[in-house]
Amino acid sequence: MTNTRKLKLQSDLKTLANLKNDPALLSVIIFTVALVTFFILIPLYNITIESLTTDKGISLGNYSDVFSMYGNKKILMNTIMLGIVTASISVVVGFIFAYVTTYMKIRFRKLFDFIAILPIISPPFVVALSAILLFGRVGLITRGLFGIRDAEIYGFHGLVLVQSLSFFPIAYMMLVALLQRIDPSVEEASRDLGASRVKVFSSVTLPLMVPGIANAFLLVFIQSIADFANPVVIGGNFTTVAVKIYQEGIGNYQFGTATALAMILLSISISIFVLQKYYVSQKSYVTVTGKVSRHRDLINSNKIVIPATSILVIFTLFVIMMYILIPIGSFVKLWGVNYTPTLEHYKYIFKPKLFQSVITTTTLAAVATPISGILAMVIAFLIVRKKFFGKSFIEFTTIMALAIPGTIIGLGYVISYNKTYSLFGMTIFPPITGTGFIIIMAFIIRSLPVGIRSGITSLQQIDPSIEEAANVLGASSRKVFTSVTIPMIKNAFLNGLVFTFARSMTLVSTVIFLISARYKLLTTSIMAQIDVGRMGVASAYCTVLILIVTAAMIIIKITVKNMSTE
Amino acid sequence: MSKKRFAIISVLLLVLAISFVSAAGSQDSKVEDKGSLVFYAGLQEDHAAMIAEEFEAVTGIKTEFVRMSSGEILARLKAEKGNMSASVWYGGPVDGIVAADQEGIIEHYISPEAVNIKEGFKEPNGIWTGIYIGYLGFVGNQAILKEKGLEMPTSWADFLKPEYNQEIVVAHPGSSGTAYTMLATIVQMMGEDAAMEYFKKFSPQVRQYTKSGTAPGRMAGLGEATVGITFLHDAIKYKKEGYKDIIISAPVEGTGYEIGGVALLKGGPDQANAKTFIDWVLTKDVQEMGKTVGSFQFLTNKDALPPEEAMSIKDTKLIDYDFQWAGENKKRLVELFSRETSTVAPTK
Repeated sequence: MTNTRKLKLQSDLKTLANLKNDPALLSVIIFTVALVTFFILIPLYNITIESLTTDKGISLGNYSDVFSMYGNKKILMNTIMLGIVTASISVVVGFIFAYVTTYMKIRFRKLFDFIAILPIISPPFVVALSAILLFGRVGLITRGLFGIRDAEIYGFHGLVLVQSLSFFPIAYMMLVALLQRIDPSVEEASRDLGASRVKVFSSVTLPLMVPGIANAFLLVFIQSIADFANPVVIGGNFTTVAVKIYQEGIGNYQFGTATALAMILLSISISIFVLQKYYVSQKSYVTVTGKVSRHRDLINSNKIVIPATSILVIFTLFVIMMYILIPIGSFVKLWGVNYTPTLEHYKYIFKPKLFQSVITTTTLAAVATPISGILAMVIAFLIVRKKFFGKSFIEFTTIMALAIPGTIIGLGYVISYNKTYSLFGMTIFPPITGTGFIIIMAFIIRSLPVGIRSGITSLQQIDPSIEEAANVLGASSRKVFTSVTIPMIKNAFLNGLVFTFARSMTLVSTVIFLISARYKLLTTSIMAQIDVGRMGVASAYCTVLILIVTAAMIIIKITVKNMSTE
Repeated sequence: MSKKRFAIISVLLLVLAISFVSAAGSQDSKVEDKGSLVFYAGLQEDHAAMIAEEFEAVTGIKTEFVRMSSGEILARLKAEKGNMSASVWYGGPVDGIVAADQEGIIEHYISPEAVNIKEGFKEPNGIWTGIYIGYLGFVGNQAILKEKGLEMPTSWADFLKPEYNQEIVVAHPGSSGTAYTMLATIVQMMGEDAAMEYFKKFSPQVRQYTKSGTAPGRMAGLGEATVGITFLHDAIKYKKEGYKDIIISAPVEGTGYEIGGVALLKGGPDQANAKTFIDWVLTKDVQEMGKTVGSFQFLTNKDALPPEEAMSIKDTKLIDYDFQWAGENKKRLVELFSRETSTVAPTK
């Protein structure tokens, strides 16, 4: 026991000594550690203090309050159940999309690819509103088409529907990048040995997907339980912890209880993370070994392709139906009541004062995107490929950023950075609240985990010997990273960029405390419009938002493509 | 040195971001004659925008605002204590301002204009001064009511009738100030025990407890709900926005109300401008501007005329609503309500 500890210490010291010889690595690590310290740990620390502060000083009073309050245990169970159901459905749907578009010879592949990421480019509550308009008591489908008088969309089932639709793109993005990187020769080898397609799928492809599936499940689970907007709009009588946090903190002015609840939510997410990490780290998933590899023979047997395509088409029609309501809603007077065509909503939002929030949001998101995208890949690379002191620390804290409900982390930022930090009377850190900088940091921190996870998943598949080979052949480590590593994880990189931009444009609860008179954001304008019942104006804003994100997505794709073919 | 280059690029981008931000910040430094003012608005966005614009036009003071819900304003003020960025809290129910005062965030200020504010709608020590009064009442969808052969309810007692079973939508008192006003109103009218008896019978009638206080009005407008309980000015607002089937009524037994207030923030910048602003918003003319942007509450200035849209409910019987008591008993009553009706989280 003492021996192993000694060995561990020795190897720690050794990696520390190695760092001295690699100043580039060292500086990246220091930068990353500083980033997570300032924008995750310090705010989180202040939130923890808040959760432990009661009228009687520091105590666990808020936590015992949480467990004694009526119904809270039920709410906890609700939340976990929601997370599991939503994550399972999202992963299955994401997997079907990813598998069919990668392995089968189908038409309109590009369309399916677009559909699978459409849900991340619009604010979450929009899907919830569409679901109500389609499937509610006076819904177009439930009442209009089927004549059902008393349909009920509010509640657990509605929430699962809306959340799965909003979060399956994350699973898709992660899995598609992974499937494309599986070396076809592995699967063909087993085919040649006489295995059926089903056998190949179940004993080769699926096991190779385990880290991707586990990571996708983790990400969707965490986002589902921390989600606030959807449960509020469509949850009905079904309450989750994230909603309760908002109710206690914002509705009832009980910050102690709210922060204690947030800590409980965070610990659920962390448990799932630890479980996932333990499970996945048991095996090796390397399939890209650098040996001769060729293009995959796509499945073209009609017996498989036709049913698979039909499933995809059904999903696609469903997604389109949910989203087409947004542009339509922006061109009619009032959805559900008055369908006279009109342009008045656009005239309204294009007034300079109101359109300012669109410009501000786009600019800040555009600044955050490259930083977050590059940083995510670098951190993923460090985590998978390098041994260094503080590695688990970085991996652990970056995932925490996703697990804290937005309202709470936003509040943490204000508590931590609305003051001047000075040393010997010198200002070393001025207040950064009210600036665009803090909003950009929030954008980065909230999108970074998804980029890092998808980078890690892709890198775990790639045999380090490819990079080593390049190194041995005389390439510098810069050359190796840019011409070997980056091209191999190009898809993950691309997805990270797209996700960051889309996420930044649509972030709701994190930014509510960070917006200022000068920096107002689009999503808060949309929320305000929905609150006063102006669905048309809200839809017009959302339509503009979807157009901007789509344009950005195309620009990002072209840029990344050109970058990697050089 | 790949990682180094990436590190440098990242750092450069950060620097770029910072300079971009500070450049944006310094743009308006040349306009510095009358100073500036930032207020946090707890009422609807259009109203706040109109007030900011008008105030700037009248006084030349550069005026900006951030709109948030009352609870969000309070949370933010608590976090900003010591380095306040706003100097006025404008609009939103006064219980939030009272809670802020207990945190030592409110600067007591009795405006000279407060003499024109009706009695009972201003705090004697100057913690807050009322700007509007919103009545709690009922909202319904006349098309759905007709289809179901129902009358619009006109009393609290009506809601217990079997025909309204599963037709009522109201926010939960644990999550909405509107719904808490309802809870506190019933308790103040009937006494605690009778009130809980009432809610025990009332709760099975409810189709959905929403999270937001404005949701019942919106749902009634769309036909998602047959009848709901909400602030009547919100219901009028939805009708004005085009939800044509909305009808409203006020309970005959009497009803509670909210007071929207304005308050001065302690330690906020531009205190003189802030006082000018408060004096200005309390005047008759400014209060009457609200209806032009869809605010249909009753007004606190004794000379101000209420909006025409609210005339039909102007004779509503109001109870003697005790805000102090309601605030002090909130946590206990919500917990009691939740237990008695078992309604925090029924699964569905």
